[in-house]
Amino acid sequence: MEQEYWKWPETGHTSTEIDWRKAKKVTAGVDIGSTSAQAVILCDGELFGWANIRIGVSFKKAADLAMEKAMGSSGMTLKDIGEIVSIGWGADNAAYATKKMNEIVCQAKGARYMFGPEVHTVVDLGGQSVAAIRLYDWDRVQDFFMNDKCATGMGRNVESLCELLQVPIEEIGELSLDVPGDPVPVSTTCYNFAETETMGLFGRPEYRSSPLTENQVYAAHLFAISTRASSVIGKLAPLDVGELSVYKELCFTGGLAKNKGVTKRIERDFKTTALTSEYDPQLAGAIGAALLAGTD
Amino acid sequence: MEKLDQFKEMVKNRHDYAWSWKARTGGKVLGYCPPYMPEELAYAAGMLPVRLLAEQMPDVVSAKWIYASCYPAKNMTNMILSGVYDYMDVFVNIEDCQWMFNVFEVAMHTNPSLLTHYMFFTDYPEAPTAKDVTVSEYKVLKGKLETWSGKTITDEALDEAIAIYNTNRRLLRRIYELRRVYRTVILGSEMMYILLANQVTDKAEMNRLLEELIPELEKHEPFDDRLRLMLIGSETYSAELEELVESLGANVVVDELDNGSSSFWNEVVPQKDRLLALAFRYLGRPHSAMKDSNWRRRPQHIFELTEDYMVDGVLIVKQLLCHPHGSDNYALWKMLRERNIPYHFFERDTTLPPDETKIRLGGFLDMVRPGVTRIRGWHQPLVI
Repeated sequence: MEQEYWKWPETGHTSTEIDWRKAKKVTAGVDIGSTSAQAVILCDGELFGWANIRIGVSFKKAADLAMEKAMGSSGMTLKDIGEIVSIGWGADNAAYATKKMNEIVCQAKGARYMFGPEVHTVVDLGGQSVAAIRLYDWDRVQDFFMNDKCATGMGRNVESLCELLQVPIEEIGELSLDVPGDPVPVSTTCYNFAETETMGLFGRPEYRSSPLTENQVYAAHLFAISTRASSVIGKLAPLDVGELSVYKELCFTGGLAKNKGVTKRIERDFKTTALTSEYDPQLAGAIGAALLAGTD
Repeated sequence: MEKLDQFKEMVKNRHDYAWSWKARTGGKVLGYCPPYMPEELAYAAGMLPVRLLAEQMPDVVSAKWIYASCYPAKNMTNMILSGVYDYMDVFVNIEDCQWMFNVFEVAMHTNPSLLTHYMFFTDYPEAPTAKDVTVSEYKVLKGKLETWSGKTITDEALDEAIAIYNTNRRLLRRIYELRRVYRTVILGSEMMYILLANQVTDKAEMNRLLEELIPELEKHEPFDDRLRLMLIGSETYSAELEELVESLGANVVVDELDNGSSSFWNEVVPQKDRLLALAFRYLGRPHSAMKDSNWRRRPQHIFELTEDYMVDGVLIVKQLLCHPHGSDNYALWKMLRERNIPYHFFERDTTLPPDETKIRLGGFLDMVRPGVTRIRGWHQPLVI
């Protein structure tokens, strides 16, 4: 079968160490985004099962499949879960959900769970949206910004770029960093224009004598994406608390958080190093939803 | 409430209303878009001043520049070219934003039977010469309106128009007063429909409707205590956003929009020189974003409204490509941040993507909702 460069690996895990039957409280969160769906099951606040899958043509099927995968072969059924919170663009499609919530607060809660209490700025780099969230106290949202109608330069864009340039999606980020300096970014105004412009970079007259390498073309594209995300993060108010700056204690969530070509450039923009976590960054919203399930 | 529903219908049927008003009175309809039109002058000339309200419709323009305009301007151009505004006899443009000027220019060049007038309005309303310049511009406009309508604008007619417009402003302020209490009797969407209807209806007629409405509103059962929001930014032409806010359990209790509270906030103080009285009124109204460049009055005015109306948060909603509201954002953000007033900014066009907007509004409401660490009232310091 021909390689599908855009496809990122789907993941999932169900614990064999935790006995869910003994848990006092079993809750779940499901995040149906524009491009991917995640489901997380918590047993007494501990991560029991999770799944991260791509959304095909049906939000509903993806919602069912994600939850099925998170429950795995543990014998757990939907009836065994106390409360299920659904969030995201396709939240309505999780028919089994007992509650719908807003994803911003869930992202915040999930990020604190995954990255610890030092997180102050959560940057969610999603399939079609970017959100920068400022936290205070334990998990309260102080301020947040999201991109507007145009979804330029988010995860879905990278998927289609990988398909176009035939480069595996897991590799494009690292490859784009392997350049002497960032070239001029492609237009950030439109998803389609950006792609056309990326292809055009190969034939631009000014580059004819010394053509851009493929890595430089990836860099031009990912640089544009990171610039776009940085402009959203930059709208957050500076946090003047002693030495603490808003851009320190920053973490990335969402699919593009796995793309170093984007995250390293954002870190460079804000002169900071992002926090790391053992969890899949795409799970933040679903974890937050599962944590908030069962609360008022 | 039935009386409130009629305003929504009036906005929906505004074009039919204008046609029937013309047939009934034999008068002329004067259309305008930017906020500084001295409507009293047109009204005194027996005309019906109608503010152009944009609505989404298929493109009939293929010129590239149209795609650089804001969406309301683009839609208004489409509406004019499609004949939606064919009842308009006169089109006046007051110097304000570039996009509305583009609409005016298209109308001027494509409809030779349309009487058009471009009026200068100073960018510096507080400047010492502003009142003289404005009065001289009003004189020119008055002369033209007299020629077009074939009717001399007498002082008596102007006094009557001023009285009707002042009554209208007073009535709207009375409804706004009802929005100040914690449990309001009117929702933001209902208020927006009143405001929109007010801009396309004969003011004397509108005053009668408002006079009937207010006693009923005063007796109306108050709504539950909801999160209180303020709406600022570019003009809006529907109550879609307010309705979305209400569906999430909050309420827009006050606004600072050019076609919202700013359009009626101050009255004309009568004086012998009627044109000077009008000039003072329009120069002294809450500044539009375009005219707030040197003497910044908007941030203070907005702050006072947030205090008076006890708002929990401010929504700043800008139309995509709106340059006046793009340029004053940072002054407003700075003011709101300094005073610790939560706000959320986003861009929209004539349409509003419901799911995406719901997510951001929901996020914002969660942010301002009183909780363990946030006591109701933005004046409380945040605990970090």
